[in-house]
Amino acid sequence: MTSYFSNLPIIAILTPFLGAFLTALLGERKKLLIIEKCIPIATTFTSLTSLIFLIKPVLINKYIVTYWMGNWKPESQWAIGIGLEVDAFSLFIGLIIAAACFLSAVYSFRYMEEDNGLDKYYVLFQLLSASMIGFVLTGDVFNMYVMLEIMTFAAIALTSFRNHIYKSVEAGFKYIVIGSLGSSFILLGTALLYSQLHTLNIAQMAALLHGNYTPVSILALAFMLTGYAVKAFLVPCHTWPVDAHMAAPSSISMLLSGIMSKTGVYALVRILYMIYQSTGRPEMEFLIIFWGAVTMLVGITMAVVQTDFKRLLAFSSVSQIGYIMAGFGVGLSVNKGVAVVGTMGGLFHMLNHAAFKSLLFLCAGAVLHQTGTTDLNKLGGLSKKMPYTTAFFIIGTLSISGIPPFNGFVSKWLIYQATFEAGYAPVTIIALIASVLTLASLVKVIQSVFFGQLREEHKDVKEVPLTMRIPMMILSAICIFVGVFPHIVSKYLIEPAAFSIYNIGSYIDVMFGKGYAVKMFKETVSIPSMNYTLAGYWNPASWLILFVILLIALILFFSFGYKTTNSKVVDDLINTRYETFTGGEKESYNHLGENDMFWGMRQDFGRYFKFIKNAHSGVVNDYVLWVVTTCALVTIYLFTLM
Amino acid sequence: MEVLKTLLQQMFYVLIFPGFLFCFIFGLFLSGIDRKMVARMQRRIGPPITQSFYDFFKLVGKDHIIPRKASKKAFLLAPVFGLISIVIISLFIPIFGFTFQESTADIIVILYLITIPALSLVFGGSSSGSAYASIGISREMVTMLSYELPLVMILLSIGKKAGAAINGNVTFSLADIGKYQSLYGIIISKWALIPAAIAFLLIIPAEVGTVPFDAAEAETEICEGPLVEYSGLYLGIYKLTQAVKMFIMGSLFLALFFGGSGFSNIFLNIILMIIGVIITIVISVSFVRSILGRLKVEQTLKFFWTVPTALSAISLILVYLKY
Amino acid sequence: MLFNYIGSFLIIIFGLYIIIVKKNLIKIVIGMSLIDAGINLLLISIGFRQGGTAPIFISDLKPGAFFVDPVPQALTLTSIVIGACVTALALSLVIKIKAHYGSIDADKVRRLNG
Repeated sequence: MTSYFSNLPIIAILTPFLGAFLTALLGERKKLLIIEKCIPIATTFTSLTSLIFLIKPVLINKYIVTYWMGNWKPESQWAIGIGLEVDAFSLFIGLIIAAACFLSAVYSFRYMEEDNGLDKYYVLFQLLSASMIGFVLTGDVFNMYVMLEIMTFAAIALTSFRNHIYKSVEAGFKYIVIGSLGSSFILLGTALLYSQLHTLNIAQMAALLHGNYTPVSILALAFMLTGYAVKAFLVPCHTWPVDAHMAAPSSISMLLSGIMSKTGVYALVRILYMIYQSTGRPEMEFLIIFWGAVTMLVGITMAVVQTDFKRLLAFSSVSQIGYIMAGFGVGLSVNKGVAVVGTMGGLFHMLNHAAFKSLLFLCAGAVLHQTGTTDLNKLGGLSKKMPYTTAFFIIGTLSISGIPPFNGFVSKWLIYQATFEAGYAPVTIIALIASVLTLASLVKVIQSVFFGQLREEHKDVKEVPLTMRIPMMILSAICIFVGVFPHIVSKYLIEPAAFSIYNIGSYIDVMFGKGYAVKMFKETVSIPSMNYTLAGYWNPASWLILFVILLIALILFFSFGYKTTNSKVVDDLINTRYETFTGGEKESYNHLGENDMFWGMRQDFGRYFKFIKNAHSGVVNDYVLWVVTTCALVTIYLFTLM
Repeated sequence: MEVLKTLLQQMFYVLIFPGFLFCFIFGLFLSGIDRKMVARMQRRIGPPITQSFYDFFKLVGKDHIIPRKASKKAFLLAPVFGLISIVIISLFIPIFGFTFQESTADIIVILYLITIPALSLVFGGSSSGSAYASIGISREMVTMLSYELPLVMILLSIGKKAGAAINGNVTFSLADIGKYQSLYGIIISKWALIPAAIAFLLIIPAEVGTVPFDAAEAETEICEGPLVEYSGLYLGIYKLTQAVKMFIMGSLFLALFFGGSGFSNIFLNIILMIIGVIITIVISVSFVRSILGRLKVEQTLKFFWTVPTALSAISLILVYLKY
Repeated sequence: MLFNYIGSFLIIIFGLYIIIVKKNLIKIVIGMSLIDAGINLLLISIGFRQGGTAPIFISDLKPGAFFVDPVPQALTLTSIVIGACVTALALSLVIKIKAHYGSIDADKVRRLNG
């Protein structure tokens, strides 16, 4: 294919790499700093636009773009080069990654002002974005491993970037031990799979393996599942992100938490749906749904008892990944109607989670930047000084809990419906409890940080500068837009992606020439268009009613309330008209922080919380033991059932 | 012309019946009846039935004060959104076969809109900056956590039962449930769903926020919890929200368990609904309120996660086994 | 040939044992590189063919010349480089940990817990 768009994937991958090397060449001179700050914005923007230009052929015309590196085309139906193959699923995730990297680059323009060594930060940042885009656009298993290693390496170096703080260094060490263990498992799985099939190209592997498994390939599957589970933080392997996302600078935390986990899920979907073609196997469905449910529950119950802002957000990320995996687990079901709904729920939740989790982390970064601390017991009452941050954080909270006009509602509802109709009703109930607990933990954060009473030392805190507010505004707009118009997003992004996950015939055909895959995949799974009547609020009359009601509400709000408050009253014991009610005593600082919220519930479930808090002991050896145990359990499960 | 007629009809539904005006009047009436019944059971005379109207209009006329520490926008917006969402629910609940707003997934919308007034209480209390309010919102979140679980299980079991007869999967539409009841008989007559009905009656006091489950708004203990700094019109809006919620929960109980076609005349149906809601609220709210004391919030959590959850789980399992 | 495979898996298991049991951080890094060595050995053994020569283009190449499989050798080179980078980064983190915490015992480097 020599049309213009077959060069776009390689442009999208190479531009940030070149930008990284250019930034490294420029070095650390004060006068060149402003150029060094603009280079990543330019390169990530170039990647984003080249991926946007790919939307038309891939998502709308359903064409699969390939590019063989060095022009080593396949010879007699055997792949000998490294191929980039972009189908709708890859492009969907690629767009999310490129957009998030661009927003993070804009945010770090002002956020990282006070650190030194900024050229190294930007080099690592561009390596991270380039490798993430390369990971999803490639069609070769070993290339995925190399990109994954570059991504992990850059992420570890960025986690311990602020190495004058002890947290960053400890978190970086734990990340490197657990992360490289995961990567080693992936390499082991890839090697074993190569020994069976003698090829490294995903399309060819799918064609050759085609459902007849040998014991070595099942062992390879077990290793690769565990390895990618470490990257996508499913439960016993979830201990590294809670330290790493807490210690990293916030513009990087947003990428690590919201985006890198998606690459792990992407790889799991590629392995399960494409290479191993396990759609329609109830034992795989049970494994993935069970794993997703356990992740949801453990993640959010740990989040309720945290005392650090970003650590709490990292635990709630773990829980949301559980939702996504449960959705994809239902997608493996035998009943095709339900399976499609599950996959679409999983895909939609990936998009939504990237949006609202990035927004929450950017707000946490804003608070850290202005006040210098993220300890929930030491903050309070910041809404009067930082009103924009408060508003964006409330939008993020409402999105993550799934309240209707925002985007979390649509995807969570798809996941509830899919799990209930697939027959796994306990998982629906666990998902609901997790949703309410998410709301509870984020309300705890709002009460401790934003509302309440202001501390003395934070009296001079100001709002964050405009370049830091712009990414937050864009992300909130995305949350609201996707929540109000889910059918537009679904028609152009989600449905083509779901179609390409299930119908891998065309993926294989592009490499081998037409007609090869038809011998193997006789039926195509059609994706019904989701008309979202299930979301319940979809006809024009209801829009009009909503408008009238909102008009009445605004009249009530503005005409009666807004103007009568007086802040020039003298503060003495007699004229306490504008102070809070204290039963007659003089008002003093009595802010209720994190320790006092949900006290009764924490006492009641005290044994469970104590057990699970002590289980996260902080010792590296324990965490590695959990990963190895997971690998052993998955291997035993797969061997007994296949 | 058609468009104008539909527009006027929709405005009538929103503003007059069953929208703002009807909810407002009937909700306050229910609140008055509740107080009168409790007083009679405690051998007092009690306030007149229209007392809640006098209270509301008194509150509207008074001045309101916003404390210095409060975040003004959130403080004033929160009660308004609570009231709006609870009134919108009334458009979705059918009155014996007559639906105002057709939708294939009413139950989902209702489930989410019912949590919004509790959330508005939380945000209002949190933004007022008072310590009493912070304790109140913590208790309100735990109460919300405790009653969401059995509520969802009840709705899922009814949806599965009605949907299995109509189209094979679980249905989420109250119109479908109404159709099922007019064809096969009211749901409370199916003995598999009687535990679900009892569980729903136990959930109503927690949703409405009345004794024994109102640890969040304990008047004597934490001075009304999240509402401690509210006064004037906005306190009136919160009290009105509580009253309308009584009407909504009673009407939902009727539509789910006693629904169907009723009589064929619309006015008789409305009168039947009014009487039904009054009886439901008297049984589940007033009787319970006059006898019991207030539970602690941990006891509330423990109660809701054992008794109503077990009852609704029994219903769910029986419905799955196709009884 | 079987000896290679058993050997590589034994090396991987030794590496895992070291990471799980030993408390000194430098020993943990040694365990990580031992796992890498085991996997590299496995990769090379996969590509071996009895009687094959090294896969380099020599000037008198005849059709039908018998090579060992060159692809795993390329994979192993990449993997060795990645292993070296990871070991370097891990050791530099250990140096910084010693500067902050004063010890490199894994039981003392656990301030982020719970």
